[in-house]
Amino acid sequence: MHVYIYDDFLNKSKHQKTINRLEIRLTDLGLNGKIIRLAGIKNVKSAIQNEIKLGAKTIIAVGNNQTVNKIIGAIIDTEIYGDFQKKTLLGIVPVGNDNSIAASLGIKDLEEACQVLLARRLAKIDLGIVNNHYFLNQISIQSLGTVLEIDDYSLEITARGEVRVINLLSDPSAKISSNPHDGRLDIYIRTKRKDETHLTAKEMKISNPENKIVIDGVVEIETPAAVSVRRDQVSLIVGKDRLFE
Amino acid sequence: MFNKSSRLEKFKDAETVIGASIRVKGNFQGQGNIIIEGALEGSLKTDANIFIGEQAKVVASIEAKDAIITGEVRGNIKAKNYLAVGATAKIFGDVQYGEISVEKGATINGQLSLGSEEGKRAAKIEDKENAPAK
Repeated sequence: MHVYIYDDFLNKSKHQKTINRLEIRLTDLGLNGKIIRLAGIKNVKSAIQNEIKLGAKTIIAVGNNQTVNKIIGAIIDTEIYGDFQKKTLLGIVPVGNDNSIAASLGIKDLEEACQVLLARRLAKIDLGIVNNHYFLNQISIQSLGTVLEIDDYSLEITARGEVRVINLLSDPSAKISSNPHDGRLDIYIRTKRKDETHLTAKEMKISNPENKIVIDGVVEIETPAAVSVRRDQVSLIVGKDRLFE
Repeated sequence: MFNKSSRLEKFKDAETVIGASIRVKGNFQGQGNIIIEGALEGSLKTDANIFIGEQAKVVASIEAKDAIITGEVRGNIKAKNYLAVGATAKIFGDVQYGEISVEKGATINGQLSLGSEEGKRAAKIEDKENAPAK
């Protein structure tokens, strides 16, 4: 059974046409299913968990990066997580802004998302963890003054720019080939002096007293933050134009 | 030294690149080929190859299969296979190699010594592999 989780921001009238178009297209393709609207639901976690307990085979996040992270955050480290990993697939229909996760999976728009759901191409993806938050794409922080502690060494960045810790690459302009199922995170630093740094690590600590970490372009958290990765945690429905092998 | 272009090719897709704005402190053990353009203090080791850029300042012992040095290194260098020292290199420390080339203008302030027989053999095998087919 397909369960579509509509994020609460889709309640705004400006998205109504898009949602109507989506529902018509899904019906045409025989992909219609149950709809859960997060707007008005007080306990989002238990609403999502309940659908998995009821046997949802595919959970589809309709919204943006935050919608995807809400769903993962509702499931991971709960008693139903084992069942979710074994039996449930996660799909994405991007609506609105901040949809870098969908872009990484090769899903550019609503029409493509429907085709991807129909084709049901699967990939297991690692999950990044920063303190008690989860990320599929990346976390980022301003580079000047940032210190990364990794294994037996530390990296201090002495110029303005951006540090990105990438699980699933969303920006093809970063000159790295990131693998989201190797159990490692890619660290990519680009400064305004035009120099680039890249390396990989399984875990690290990030500190910067002046700046916050941004998770998947949406949520901000303070440092110091412990960052790690768990291998092959989520089964995703992906497009053929995804940004990874 | 850089006529051995096939050896420089190895760095085209280096797994680890440390840019000029980065200071590394501690024991840096990279995976695969490493390029250092910034500052590093501690030790630097890989089973693959290391390139130290012109602007780099390294205060560390270095251990690699092949190493190309064009910046400043204060510490001992051990290149099991091949060591190339560029014209802009400044090395303050002992150097051990399987095979070496030094460009005019380079500074080496330390002892040079030929490494193990194993290293020398590896260098010869690699030379044969890289030789053009007749």
